[in-house]
Amino acid sequence: MNAVIEDSNIVVETHDLTRKFGKFVAVDKLNIAVKRGEIFGFLGANGAGKTTAIRMLCGLLEPTSGTGTVAGFDIVKQAERIKSRIGYMSQKFSLYNDLKVEENLEFYGGVYGLDSRALKQHIHETLERMNLQHVRTKMTAELPLGWKQKLALGAALMHNPDIIFLDEATGGVDPVARRDFWDMIHDLAAHGKTIFVTTHYMDEAEYCHKISIMHQSRVLIQGKVGDLKVQTGMKTVEELFKHVVTQGDSA
Amino acid sequence: MSVIRHFVKKEFRQVFRDKQMLRMLLIVPIVQLIVLGNAINLDVKHVRLAIFDHDHSEVSRDLLSRFRSSDYFDIILADQSKLSALMDRGKIDISVVIPEGFARDLGSGSTAKAQLIVDAQNSNLAGIATGYVNGVFGSFQEDFRNRMLEKNPDIKSKIHSVEVVSRVFYNPEMNTYFATIPGIAVLLLTIITTLINALNIVREKEIGTLEQLMVTPISKFQFVMGKSLPFAILGYIELAIALAVGMLWFKIPFAGSFLLLAFSAALFLMTTLGAGLLVSTVAQTQQQALFTAWFFLVFCIIMSGFLTPIENMPTALQYLTYLDPLRYMIKVTRGIFLKGSTFFDLKYELAAMAIYGTAMFALAIFRFRKSTT
Amino acid sequence: MSTSSPMIAANDIKKTYKDTDALRGINLSVSRGEIFGLIGPDGAGKTSLMRILCCLMSFDGGTATVAGFDVEKQSGEIKKRLGYMPQRFSLYPDLSVGENIRFFASLFGVERDAYQTRFAELMQFSKLEPFINRRAAALSGGMKQKLALSCTLIHTPEILILDEPTTGVDPISRFEFWEMLRKLARQGVTILVSTPYMDEADKCDRVALIHKGNILAVGTPSEITQEFKHSVLEIEGANLFDLRRDAETLPSVVEVHLYGDRMHIVTSDIFRCQGELQAKLGISLESVRKVAPSIEDTFISLLK
Ligand SMILES: Nc1ncnc2c1ncn2[C@@H]1O[C@H](COP(=O)(O)OP(=O)(O)OP(=O)(O)O)[C@@H](O)[C@H]1O
Ligand SMILES: [Mg+2]
Repeated sequence: MNAVIEDSNIVVETHDLTRKFGKFVAVDKLNIAVKRGEIFGFLGANGAGKTTAIRMLCGLLEPTSGTGTVAGFDIVKQAERIKSRIGYMSQKFSLYNDLKVEENLEFYGGVYGLDSRALKQHIHETLERMNLQHVRTKMTAELPLGWKQKLALGAALMHNPDIIFLDEATGGVDPVARRDFWDMIHDLAAHGKTIFVTTHYMDEAEYCHKISIMHQSRVLIQGKVGDLKVQTGMKTVEELFKHVVTQGDSA
Repeated sequence: MSVIRHFVKKEFRQVFRDKQMLRMLLIVPIVQLIVLGNAINLDVKHVRLAIFDHDHSEVSRDLLSRFRSSDYFDIILADQSKLSALMDRGKIDISVVIPEGFARDLGSGSTAKAQLIVDAQNSNLAGIATGYVNGVFGSFQEDFRNRMLEKNPDIKSKIHSVEVVSRVFYNPEMNTYFATIPGIAVLLLTIITTLINALNIVREKEIGTLEQLMVTPISKFQFVMGKSLPFAILGYIELAIALAVGMLWFKIPFAGSFLLLAFSAALFLMTTLGAGLLVSTVAQTQQQALFTAWFFLVFCIIMSGFLTPIENMPTALQYLTYLDPLRYMIKVTRGIFLKGSTFFDLKYELAAMAIYGTAMFALAIFRFRKSTT
Repeated sequence: MSTSSPMIAANDIKKTYKDTDALRGINLSVSRGEIFGLIGPDGAGKTSLMRILCCLMSFDGGTATVAGFDVEKQSGEIKKRLGYMPQRFSLYPDLSVGENIRFFASLFGVERDAYQTRFAELMQFSKLEPFINRRAAALSGGMKQKLALSCTLIHTPEILILDEPTTGVDPISRFEFWEMLRKLARQGVTILVSTPYMDEADKCDRVALIHKGNILAVGTPSEITQEFKHSVLEIEGANLFDLRRDAETLPSVVEVHLYGDRMHIVTSDIFRCQGELQAKLGISLESVRKVAPSIEDTFISLLK
């Protein structure tokens, strides 16, 4: 193993992680560190580079330069080992609309290599936890968006990962469903899971332990929510966000 | 293994839920085979046959009357000097020339020669007509021999045979009617399995589920097998349907080993599914995939010799046909189906297909990436 | 037609899919220059209603007019006056940002001067100008959404129907987008918009809360919050998540809503509740204050 981990509690870490598309720098020298059990809010304006960064951390996209580790494994050399330790919900809904709810869970669980007994149990537990038992034989296409997102989260959790990347998991979801979602996220964190989340809902950002705000490929500010508010004299994350991004624009 | 099983299960659920897709996969091939086959079948009742009898013997007249009494033939009376002109103008499909001394040769036990001239522009008609003519000659020869034996039981050792020397005009390859059905079957198999694999994966790319799969720890091999196996099974179903149509509807006897055919199909499917996979690694949209796959398919179909005989191609192109997996598969399928060819008869073709299949599949696995660079 | 008659009117609209009633008799009236919001949980029927008003879907009962024209019989007239952005708007992924916008402008026959002013406005809100030559396929999720909005708003129709237009759009652009909508409304454009953001619902002139195919409440945002029968106590602070769970166990508490750094405690008896908070959770009276219920409070409790 290449990376030397100073703090064994740090489960996601990057050093000058950079990604270019042609000449355009989508992520510029990203340096972040996330601890076990933390809810990390990865905020930023549209096009800031959040999805690009997450895709590099999940081993879906190769960095142009810089390094990073997830769960102690190098994101370039040991990407495949990372994959069994993480759950990922992409910005785009990515379950099969033409499979039934339980069939989606069965397939993803199967792909993660669960044996049939574990599979059965996990499907049952997931449906229970996500409150989806009554629609288990429904076609996924017919579910309202909020339920689809819950199902996607359930699928991403089937193999009991340690670190969960949620890229705008609650985009377009109604307030009640969002509440359920965040209850679940808190439960997961309380059980020692690390949650790496992007969102454009600033009230959700308040629920994070730590946040970073990204703008035009760079992280402008990061730290504990409370500390950042004190530091900038802002009352809410919404104000903080607008302040930081507007300053970044004029700089 | 269980990962691959889950893939198979999922693909089948999706395919069988998509009624439109199912129709395309199961009913369209049957309709195509039957329509194409019947289009071919329409004309065979009235083959225009010209007979030139230079022998004027009792034996030759017997042969003539056999042709007359068959309702497959319309006998055309013509002057032999005008034969080739008539054939050019399409007035005659086939002609039989009985040379002088035909009866004498036959009686003396040496081989009697008759000449058959075929217009093979319509290769299927020509094939069927040739078959009919040979059939008439065959029964004529057998009757003749029995009669001789009755007269003189001692001449058992002497063989009385007729050799029909065929001269085929215009289409020396002469795909026969029987040969067309296995050809179409292989064609369908090629198109369906190449396209379905390419389009399926690119569709997953478009909806984003592929990215979700790439973030799981499955190996490239598992993914490739998981995607290919279900479509290989579908390929076998297609092949079985095509064989059933050939045997039950067109009454073509299956002469060889089903097992050998299944084995050959496996080698061939590695090529087509591998090609589909390869296409999916370069195409970003289903449209791109369709066009890319189309180039591969058109090359395969044209160069296979199914539509245009390989002998008619320029020499350089003829060498190129050795690169066409379809060429081998058509030959193998026809051989097994019609002639009952064995593994050893087809060893070169099978070897070529094995190399092709392995190379294509390996290339596809090699090219496939779980992450974007 | 006179300015006082409604630009959008729905009369007892019913729609049934295979086994579900998507709309069970919707009545709605939107007047010229009004921003009318549709809010409701996912699957409530918002998209179905919008598609019916855009003449894109047949329905099973009732009548509807848009700009005074019948939705079933005069779809041609309606389409001339209507701009619609579906939830999943398709762009041309191989065209650049600029090409997409120009294409839609030519589709709607936008005049040159109007194009230039509007284009500048759109770039101001979307921040897409530096990426004008980038292929739409290579944009981020939110940038695609903003491009879709720009394509819809490049012309000025009499009526705009927008289905969850700001999903995935960042807070700053969202703010500027609503400024633009407000400006259009002032010019007389009638806007029907659905949204999952309750702060956006607050910016509408009137909203309708749809649930299971029925309209539960309709009115200005403040009228809607008057539907709320209980009182609300607000606590500000960090780590409210744990506090919420404790507060929910108090007997006088009906429900608790968490909004980032603020918590709303819904109760029918303020004094008892304050007492319980102080006695059981150690929360001083000063840190608790009575506030007017928000539209989100109303939304959540009306759904129960
Ligand atoms: N394949 C690509 N080719 C070129 N540019 C790309 C590609 N993918 C992303 N980009 C660019 O990289 C930048 C960052 O995109 P990214 O998707 O990471 O943003 P984001 O922070 O997730 O934004 P959003 O909040 O809108 O989802 C954008 O400017 C985008 O256009
Ligand atoms: Mg993103």
